[in-house]
Amino acid sequence: MERSILLVEDNPDDRELTLRALEKNNILNPVILASDGVEALDILFRRGAHTQPQFGETPAVVLLDLKLPKLDGLEVLKTLRADPRTRLLPVVVLTSSREEQDVIASYSLGANSYIRKPVDFSKFIEAVRQLGLYWLVLNEAPPQEKQ
Amino acid sequence: MKPTILIVDDSITVRMDLKESLEGAGFETLLCATAALARDALQRRSFDLVILDVILPDIDGIEFLREIKGSTSTRDIPVMLLSSESEVRDRIRGLKKGADEYLGKPYNSTQVVSRARELVRRNTDTGREKPLILIIDDSVTFRLSLAETLQENGYDVGLAESGEEGLLRAADLRPDILIVDQQLPGMDGAEVLRRVRLDAALRRIPCLFLTASRQAKSELKALEAGADAFVSKDGDPAVVLAKLAALLRPGRASSQWGNASSLLGPKRILAVDDSLTYLSELAEELRQEGYDVVSAASGEEALELLAVQSVDAILLDFMMPGLSGKETCQMIKAHPSWRDVPLMILTALDERDAMLESINAGADDYITKSSEFDVLKARLRAQLRRRQFEDENRVFREQLLRREMEALEVQAVRELAETRATHISDLQIKNEELLRAKEEAEALTRELESFSYSVSHDLRAPLRSIDGFSRALQEDCAPLLDARGRGHLDKVCAATHRMENLIDDMLALAKVSRKELYLSEVDLSAMTRQIAERIQARDKDRVVDFEIQEGLIVHGDQGLLQILMENLIGNAWKFTSKCRQARIEFFSERKGSSAAVFAVRDNGAGFDMEYSKKLFGVFQRLHSEAEFPGTGVGLATAQRVLRRHGGRIWAEAQPGQGATFQFSL
Repeated sequence: MERSILLVEDNPDDRELTLRALEKNNILNPVILASDGVEALDILFRRGAHTQPQFGETPAVVLLDLKLPKLDGLEVLKTLRADPRTRLLPVVVLTSSREEQDVIASYSLGANSYIRKPVDFSKFIEAVRQLGLYWLVLNEAPPQEKQ
Repeated sequence: MKPTILIVDDSITVRMDLKESLEGAGFETLLCATAALARDALQRRSFDLVILDVILPDIDGIEFLREIKGSTSTRDIPVMLLSSESEVRDRIRGLKKGADEYLGKPYNSTQVVSRARELVRRNTDTGREKPLILIIDDSVTFRLSLAETLQENGYDVGLAESGEEGLLRAADLRPDILIVDQQLPGMDGAEVLRRVRLDAALRRIPCLFLTASRQAKSELKALEAGADAFVSKDGDPAVVLAKLAALLRPGRASSQWGNASSLLGPKRILAVDDSLTYLSELAEELRQEGYDVVSAASGEEALELLAVQSVDAILLDFMMPGLSGKETCQMIKAHPSWRDVPLMILTALDERDAMLESINAGADDYITKSSEFDVLKARLRAQLRRRQFEDENRVFREQLLRREMEALEVQAVRELAETRATHISDLQIKNEELLRAKEEAEALTRELESFSYSVSHDLRAPLRSIDGFSRALQEDCAPLLDARGRGHLDKVCAATHRMENLIDDMLALAKVSRKELYLSEVDLSAMTRQIAERIQARDKDRVVDFEIQEGLIVHGDQGLLQILMENLIGNAWKFTSKCRQARIEFFSERKGSSAAVFAVRDNGAGFDMEYSKKLFGVFQRLHSEAEFPGTGVGLATAQRVLRRHGGRIWAEAQPGQGATFQFSL
């Protein structure tokens, strides 16, 4: 069973374009969607509205936008790294900002990677291709957490 | 408690004589015939003065003096040496050993008393318990009755029956108040007052004038003479007492003048002559006048003596063996401490030459020995008086000057304090203004930062959508679109890309302005090489020849310099895109001793120098978008980076032959 991808993105256009990019790259892993930080944590910790998990295992990688309503990306990251269940979960920060402070903060809080979303869609497709190739194929995901 | 004097002398006559004089003057005395007894007495109690004979049976007086001055318990007691040897040697020795005073026998009792009083006064705290009133009146009955009244009312009294005596006693006693009768034999009351007012030591003493009758004229005379108050002799004694109390109230200033030498006090004269007969005759005459005389038999002795004791006048023989009178005079006048002492040369010669020589040698006066002593004494008096006036003058001037300086100082201090206060308040105001300005600037910067941050996120998202869905449209609806439709969408995408670049460049420009400079050593060569490699890697189709000089290190902000080089290299890359053999160089030129100049040169499109002024303007472009894409912000950013480093940038180019951008930090 393929591991899933958790996409945390509040902008519906960006969400649709990311899914499209994944499709264009033939990345067929199931994609779990979360539209804000709270929902993302509920999904990962099997709580709130998501006590019944959609998929059995934890995602292979989390694509995390920084600018989210309610709980922002950095907060989510901090929470993930603080909990033993999600401490090792690969997180790729996928965001518009190239601000140095965001890059530093993300890495400091334990992000594995930081990608800036290009406006040019073709470049975005290329970026997603590389992401998928790396994180879903090449990279050894950390072992599944026993629930 | 009356001051006590220890008298140490083996001669019983001397002891008794001194005891009588001193006790008569209000002292208590203790008599000892030997040093051993004296030592004993000194251990048992303290004394205000020791009068010590130089020759004692059991010890040399001067040795004993050394003992007294060497012991912590007795060293502060003043010691007056008495000696039957008026030998200068002993005097010098005694004074060197620490004696406070030296009187030669035969001594004048009044002198001893007066010196004793002075020594005691100098040593004790000024301020008597009872105020001392000196009454100068020729009528015995009046004197005694007034004295009684005063003593009943808590005053101490001194009496004098004539003006002359009154002045002498006043100089001696330094009373707190003088009561002077207008009618006196010889010198009248007004004259006494005048003399008192002239004397440095006595002038501060309040004077109460006694008038015989209640006549306006006599009152006037009294006040003119310098009286502080007057009282009628046949008036109520209560009035006298009241006026005395009033005079005493402002403060007893007289005792503060204790150490000023009075014109009327005994003066010490140094007489120098090799003829001992003349010397003793002269000394005798002078002693009768009330002077204290010290004799020296030679110029050398005179100088030795002057070294240990001060004198008020010097009488110097002209003709002496050894050190001559003239030489002695010159040496005395050359010495800073002695040059102001009136010096009179005595000579047997009645020659004009001798006189000229003497005056030229520095003497203040010249007297022939053949003239009568009266002349000599008068001239001496005149010299002493002149010296006194000069001293007083100097003291006045110094006081005046000091008071002026104090006033100036106070004023200066006040002005300085005021100026400083003004400055401080000015500075405080400026400080506050600066702080406020700084806070405002910081607030603005923060606003700017959050603005940039939002721009960085929020402006991009819609652009992504525009581009992404235009593409999606192109792909998904391909069959429905013809070439024209597809072309439109291409333009839409291109426009969004340009906007993205614009936003990025503007953000970079803003960052250059607000970012804090973080200075360090930056290797421009390495940085440029990295940028070149990256740009080459991004566009593998092109091959550009990079020539980058090694080892170009500068002092600056790494981040901003990165932006600078990216802009310059990026431009060079862009404008050589149409070159078949593009070459981009980065090197440094040093022109003379000025700062290093760096250059990025390319052999690309170049530009027309005529429009060079627009080169660094924001959004200014010298090429059309079709020829070379660009936002027109890059060079403005480069310039801003240089400005923040305190440097500048300029360019030279030829259309079609490339451009060279030079900058200095």
